[in-house]
Amino acid sequence: MTTLSQEAARAETRPADAGPATPPVLSVRDVHIHDRASDREIVHGVSFDLTPGRTVGIVGESGSGKTLTCRATLGILPPHFEVSAGTIEIDGTDTATLTGRQWTELRGSTISAVFQDPSSYLNPSLRVGAQIAEVLRVKTGLKRREARLRALELLRAVHLRDPELVYGQYTFELSGGMLQRVLIAAAIAAGPRILIADEATTALDVTVQAEILDLLADLRESTGLALVVVSHDLAVVAQLCDEVLVMRQGEVVEHGPTRTVLDTPRHPYTRLLVDEHESYGLDRFLAPKEEAA
Amino acid sequence: MVRRVLSLTSGRIAVAVLAVIALLAILGPWLAPHDPLATSDDTLAAACGPHWLGTDHLGRDVLSRLLDGSRISVLGSLEVAGVALAVGAIPGILSVYLGRVFEWFTLRLTDTLVALPFLLFAVAVIALLGNGITQAMLVTGTLVSPLFYRVARAATLTVARSPYVEAALISGASLGWIVRRHVWAKVLPPIAVALAQTIGVGFVIVSSLTFLGIGVQPPEPTWGGLLASDLGYLDYRPWGPLAPAALIMATVWACNLLADAIRDVSGEAGRALLNGRKARAHRLGTPDTAPTGGA
Amino acid sequence: MTTLTPRAVPPARRRGVAVARTRHTLVRVLAALARSVMIFVPVFVVATFVTFALRSLSGLSPARIQLGEEATPEAVARVEAEWGLDRPFLVQYADWFGGVLHGRLGTSWTNGADISTLIGLGLGVSLSVATLALVIGVLVGFLLGTVAALRRTTWIDRTITGFVTLISVMPAFVVGIVLVAVFAVGLGLFPAAGYVPAEAGIGPWLAHITLPAVALSFDVIADVARQLRGSLVAAYRENYVTGAVVRGLSPRRIFFGHVLRNGLGPALATLGLKFPALVGASVVTEWIFGLQGFGRFANDSAQAGDVPAVQGVLVVSIVLVVVFNLIVNLVLARVTPASQRGV
Repeated sequence: MTTLSQEAARAETRPADAGPATPPVLSVRDVHIHDRASDREIVHGVSFDLTPGRTVGIVGESGSGKTLTCRATLGILPPHFEVSAGTIEIDGTDTATLTGRQWTELRGSTISAVFQDPSSYLNPSLRVGAQIAEVLRVKTGLKRREARLRALELLRAVHLRDPELVYGQYTFELSGGMLQRVLIAAAIAAGPRILIADEATTALDVTVQAEILDLLADLRESTGLALVVVSHDLAVVAQLCDEVLVMRQGEVVEHGPTRTVLDTPRHPYTRLLVDEHESYGLDRFLAPKEEAA
Repeated sequence: MVRRVLSLTSGRIAVAVLAVIALLAILGPWLAPHDPLATSDDTLAAACGPHWLGTDHLGRDVLSRLLDGSRISVLGSLEVAGVALAVGAIPGILSVYLGRVFEWFTLRLTDTLVALPFLLFAVAVIALLGNGITQAMLVTGTLVSPLFYRVARAATLTVARSPYVEAALISGASLGWIVRRHVWAKVLPPIAVALAQTIGVGFVIVSSLTFLGIGVQPPEPTWGGLLASDLGYLDYRPWGPLAPAALIMATVWACNLLADAIRDVSGEAGRALLNGRKARAHRLGTPDTAPTGGA
Repeated sequence: MTTLTPRAVPPARRRGVAVARTRHTLVRVLAALARSVMIFVPVFVVATFVTFALRSLSGLSPARIQLGEEATPEAVARVEAEWGLDRPFLVQYADWFGGVLHGRLGTSWTNGADISTLIGLGLGVSLSVATLALVIGVLVGFLLGTVAALRRTTWIDRTITGFVTLISVMPAFVVGIVLVAVFAVGLGLFPAAGYVPAEAGIGPWLAHITLPAVALSFDVIADVARQLRGSLVAAYRENYVTGAVVRGLSPRRIFFGHVLRNGLGPALATLGLKFPALVGASVVTEWIFGLQGFGRFANDSAQAGDVPAVQGVLVVSIVLVVVFNLIVNLVLARVTPASQRGV
């Protein structure tokens, strides 16, 4: 048994929160994304369903189309890209029918995201606490003082040790791990049902990476958040996700429950990824432990 | 680089306009149909046969005066740019190599120069030291030199501390080779941009000074001076200021356009721009094999 | 940073942080002030020394003004002695400098009047025009820059950019002449020359300073619009805009609260650099519009060879520029605290 699938096994022993009867909160059906500038199709048919409490992982290297897919679900594709085929439904609504104002409503309160390099996604001229409070005031209608208190609660919920202090600091005064927690706090402030984590741990130290992943798992437990975790690192996906999509050059080459994909990969590319993880993983250099049955 | 600038439409227009102005300056006196100083009885005439742009209040042919006056304007602005370049660029480059004291000193000096209103100083100096556009241009050039100082210093800093220069030094390349191969290419474009801008500024200053009647003796025609005399006779020739004003504006505009064009084609962004254009030009035919877009 | 159970922060520590922060701001403001003063002093000394030296170089003297060209050498010497010009150079300089520090700028060679008073009279006029020019420049430039950035790459943006480029190449005095020709002489809407102080009535005061202010404002409009558009467009490309979008903030809120806040800084900084140019350009505009302002005084004094007056002018203009820059820097510090720390 590979260490990856050990982690996957651990992930699977959670009680399943949503039965098959729960309608998916995000459903992506055969989405194709087309680039008008080079007149080429970049993403060729991605499909997955996301139900509350579940986590979908998307793995792939740079250029595989995973970020574009995420941006499409958020409605923030770069100017010359468009969804040329397929549908995306958030909470049952087809996003192609949404106006700008409806999108603004939807974002933050139903679907939200955190990205790589957290410091650049916060305004460097404003204190970070104020930015969280801003989301609260705008999306949940709280008054200034209540928003501040709630923001402090959120900072505490993302396991920041000193919320009062962090509230009043600027982005350049905080470390990467702290900033990512702040970003997560801001993302969940309005209580969205879907959170997309696009390479959220890629730029962080390994220990911090583990903490953030734990944090995401905790949030999923406590709030029933549905997660989409995008990464080029198979280990990250293995730790957190129920099902996995492997993307390569815009195509989904493998899709299934994490355990299955890792234990018995069907596509040669997936097999390559798993094998490389094995060959270059740390465990190869550690003393062999008792294998769990 | 000249070729690259000319490949842009804006570059072509700018160079064309400036070339015309330069030609006017050089050939002006010979092209003038009349003696610019000759007065006549035909005063304040409109554009007509013998006088394409009419005559001024003393019956002098406006076109000839314009052509003759172009020399002072062009020479003056070139002087300003030249002085600014010499006074600014050299300390700028040296400030990187000559130690902290020199650096601090020149930086403070530049800061103070920027604070001074150059037209005011030019007026003061000319009036106090007596006539001569040259002195004023010297002063103005010095006052405008901070731009060159900063540009030269910034360019030299990026080059001097850049990894590839270090690598070249380590692998044994001579300083001269490095200068020719790397420094020159990096420093030249921003300085060319600054030069184009300064020529434009110099033009405005020369026009302003001659407008005020400073630095030139009365009968001598200058573009600014023409504007000044036109001012008094607006009732009779309201369209009078048009020609010299248009010339001044066209020149300044061409200078700025040139500066922009140089900026557009230099550096990383510039190469990307030109490559993009080339790619689009080659698009007819085989399909692109460009890398996949986005992750 | 490990995941520990959150502890309450002792109130003393929180207070300490707040106090430290205010002290920090104070120190920063003082540092900015000190820096400005440090720059100001050498400029002051050097510039005044140079103009003083110019006098000696130029051989100008009050004798020429008062007695004319055919004065006898004895008469000239007598006049010069009256003015204290036969003393050693450095003594004269020290004397004059001391006077300046007390606010006395000397006496004019042309008419013996106190220069400080003369300049004071002219300043009122020039500052009215300059302030109006700045106000127009900032408002219009702000408007144009914002609209162009919000509608970037559309025809609106291209038109505005073209317009701004056109304006930027029109020197103030050219614009002034055109304005006089069209609005004053041609249409008779505004007076062509002269000045009326505000005490005599806001209406006439505005009527007289509008045209020259507009002429001076073109340069400011062009620079502000270009800068603002550039920094707004750049700000929109930043990731924090995406972050704000994804958190569900409306485009209007993103613009006013985030993009504008960050884009305003560089545009304001440009203003500080524009002021010297404004002072210089007013020399010509005051000539065109017949305003007896600071610039006009400078021009007249220079042409007359009235050295103390010119020196006084230079001193005052330096002070003006430094003060203005100080104000701009203080405003900048308030608007974008992060930028000052070089983020």
